[in-house]
Amino acid sequence: MKEDNYDVVIVGAGIAGAILAKELTEKKKRVLLLEAGKASDDYLSYLEVFYTALAKVPNSPYPNNPNAPSQNVLNLGPIPAGAPNLNGYMVQYGPVPFGSDYTRVSGGTTMHWLGHSFRMLPNDFKLHSKYGHGVDWPISYDDLKPFYEKSEWEIGVSADVEDQIYPGMGNNFFGKNYYYPMKSLPASYLDQKVAGGINGMKVKLGKNAYPLSVITTPQGRNSTPNKGYKPIGASWDNNIGQRCEGNSNCVPICPVQAKYNALKTLNKADQKYLTVINQAVASNLIIDPETNRIKGVTYKQYQSAQSSDHTSHTVQGKIFVIAAHAVETAKLLLASSAANSSDLVGRCLMDHPTMLTWGLMPEDIGSYRGPGATSHIPTFRDGAFRKEHSAFIVPVDNWGWLWGEFSPGSDVTRAINQLNLFGKKLRGYLDGFVSRQFGLQFEFEQLPQHANRVTIDPNYLDQLGNYRPVVHYDISDYTRAAMEAAKGVSDMIFAKLGVEDYTELQPRRYRLSPMERGQAIHSRAQGIWSALIAWERTNQIRSLTKTRNHGITKTCTSSDRAACRLLELPILR
Amino acid sequence: MINRLASIRPGIKNIDDLRAHLQIAIELEHSTIPPYLCALYSIPDGMNVQAAQVIRSVVMEEMLHLTLAANILNAIGGSPDLDNPDFIPGYPTRLPDSSAHFKVHLERFSKRAIKTFMKLERPAKAGAMPEADNYQTIGQFYAAIEKGLKEICRHNRHFNRDRSIQVKPEHYYGGGGGVIVVDDLDSAMEAIKVIVAQGEGLDHTLFDGDRKIFGENREFAHYYRFNEIRRERFYSDHDSVKSNPSGAPLTVDWDQVYPMKINPRAADYPEGSELRRKSDEFNVGYTTLLKNLHDTFNGRPDWMMKSVGDMYKLKYLAVELMRVPCNDKGETAGPAFEYQKAE
Repeated sequence: MKEDNYDVVIVGAGIAGAILAKELTEKKKRVLLLEAGKASDDYLSYLEVFYTALAKVPNSPYPNNPNAPSQNVLNLGPIPAGAPNLNGYMVQYGPVPFGSDYTRVSGGTTMHWLGHSFRMLPNDFKLHSKYGHGVDWPISYDDLKPFYEKSEWEIGVSADVEDQIYPGMGNNFFGKNYYYPMKSLPASYLDQKVAGGINGMKVKLGKNAYPLSVITTPQGRNSTPNKGYKPIGASWDNNIGQRCEGNSNCVPICPVQAKYNALKTLNKADQKYLTVINQAVASNLIIDPETNRIKGVTYKQYQSAQSSDHTSHTVQGKIFVIAAHAVETAKLLLASSAANSSDLVGRCLMDHPTMLTWGLMPEDIGSYRGPGATSHIPTFRDGAFRKEHSAFIVPVDNWGWLWGEFSPGSDVTRAINQLNLFGKKLRGYLDGFVSRQFGLQFEFEQLPQHANRVTIDPNYLDQLGNYRPVVHYDISDYTRAAMEAAKGVSDMIFAKLGVEDYTELQPRRYRLSPMERGQAIHSRAQGIWSALIAWERTNQIRSLTKTRNHGITKTCTSSDRAACRLLELPILR
Repeated sequence: MINRLASIRPGIKNIDDLRAHLQIAIELEHSTIPPYLCALYSIPDGMNVQAAQVIRSVVMEEMLHLTLAANILNAIGGSPDLDNPDFIPGYPTRLPDSSAHFKVHLERFSKRAIKTFMKLERPAKAGAMPEADNYQTIGQFYAAIEKGLKEICRHNRHFNRDRSIQVKPEHYYGGGGGVIVVDDLDSAMEAIKVIVAQGEGLDHTLFDGDRKIFGENREFAHYYRFNEIRRERFYSDHDSVKSNPSGAPLTVDWDQVYPMKINPRAADYPEGSELRRKSDEFNVGYTTLLKNLHDTFNGRPDWMMKSVGDMYKLKYLAVELMRVPCNDKGETAGPAFEYQKAE
């Protein structure tokens, strides 16, 4: 195939790039896919690295690649006043460190995502007109709905429509005959205990009382298939991974590929029409000065992560899709002075700030079994309180105190070193302590803020001479107020369930005096403990997606992102 | 196992004969599962990936065959019996191979084990119905069942049409194609075809029947896949059923194996010892699994779910045993697969 012959050139082999490659090649379009990281056939080697990694953070299984670096949450730390924190790949100006990471390998960040696949709610699209905050989307939930369905079937989401009851969902949230491709994963024993304890309990936020519910979480993870769907297992042996086995390390890597990753989609692309170049880092977009359209992309190809030796190439095509993740996409556009007459490229960077609370249940709840979370509390995803503070979702954590305390490893260390326990006494102590560990996550909505942004600076380059992302990031009062409200919700739930709160009783805790509650996130940004807390922020990978013709940047979760990409497909028909 | 086959006279004359044959088919399919599992579990995770993959796919197909045989038996008013001390053959057990027979051991992954597996899966014409007093090949045995079904169940006689007792695709998953709900002669014949075709190669080609029946990627029939492992080389497009594989090299590290002793038994270890306790735990677990499967095939298909967790647990117990040295030859213990009820 001649190099200038591509119908579409895609930068990035993550979920968006893979879905596009699949859809386009099915329509016999010739596609070139450029991927900065390694090829897709290294899954088993990722597992080996993961097994031996000391800190099993989201990027621990994936190669440390100075030619296509990724942020590692172990590098998070406080940001000194007036100077950036340069420890990791990102140049962090703060004032709050941006805590999420992404993975630059074939398959992208779906390699380490948790798999939670929520749809946004109708009111999320009209936040400004409804609650006076943020902005309204130029499209509505109904516009996106068919693409959510398509995405859920591509990802292979397990959920039962009848369980999925959210606030403000309206009466036609799911189409009349819609069903997910697979049945819901069973709620864990722990979920059932929590649901039994708090379902229907009323919690007051502002003037209104909200009844709590605990429902199963839709997730891209194999379970019993519904009609018309066939689960896809491991790439090296489809007999493995046909169902989630409960290995409990979805993040950073599912050992059997029962969890969706974009490689599954990429493998479905019609290989006759697809050319993939790995270890090819896009560095510049070439713009035709006459038409102002992109006509080519320059990439640097390297042979080994250990050496900066590389060759530069330029490819041409009819259409270019930059699907390289929120941060990398913005970087590439900025580096190329492309599409930025609005000065909005790289702005409105978002994350989902997370607060953890944890405590000890009065009885054994079977902690640390199953995927990260099988249920959640949807109650605070929408409501009148959004006039005062942001919405939040509350996953009920199956992994106990892992993120809060690095349990159960830290419990073993403490029992041996401080309590001098060994043998049967040690086992007995851990049996009684670890299996009662309970944790809630509170994940908060962030509004688009212009000052939260990715920029570039010629003083900060990586080994190949490409820009490192320079990040300015803060959490607004609107979100901080939600954190304070959420701690109140947590206290009420703990009281109802008889949970003994350990959130504030441990070293390196964040002290939640009212003044400090909003600071919860960055006051924890010290050392490995807090690094681990950043894990759950990867549940939903946020991405900036340019909506066509509006010049407005919007954020999407990864399943939204897939939907957004599909939405743009009609251009090519 | 050969004794069980010898216990029935060839030929199916009535519905009771047919049911008795299907019960033995279930036992026959089961009898190879423990040997395959021993070889599979003796390969540490991540080692000999291709060999493990072949053995895993075969053992999963044997489980499918067992389930299909149970579905057929259920469909014609029989009651599969798995919860029975005689259900598990003692190992080594003997299986027929033309007029001779051979021993099948519980043993670790090795060249010898692979040779045995090739005998188990050797493609062979069913041959004429035996004139002797018993079946001489498994092919003959299944041919008799096919014939018996066609004759005894002609016009869909004897089918109870009770789908509620059938194991259905929502209960069963895994490789080797999907489970078939049996409620008439056509579906029964389809199920029998899967059992016969997967093992032995349809029409004596290199490829097994999956492609025809399920539309899956074509795979080499078991025998040839084992031959690839044994010869440490893949078949190429130019190879025929008669040649050995001549394609790309396939890496097998015969030493990357837990050195499990051959045919382990709980009685090998003194009463009260840790190893005895572990071995008992495995046996009780396996017996419980058979009990749960028995119930699954006797009216509670949704209980299959329970068994899945049990199977994982048994794997962990088996591997634990395989890591414990048990004699001065440097060998380790292993799962005994003996019928043992919890006390």
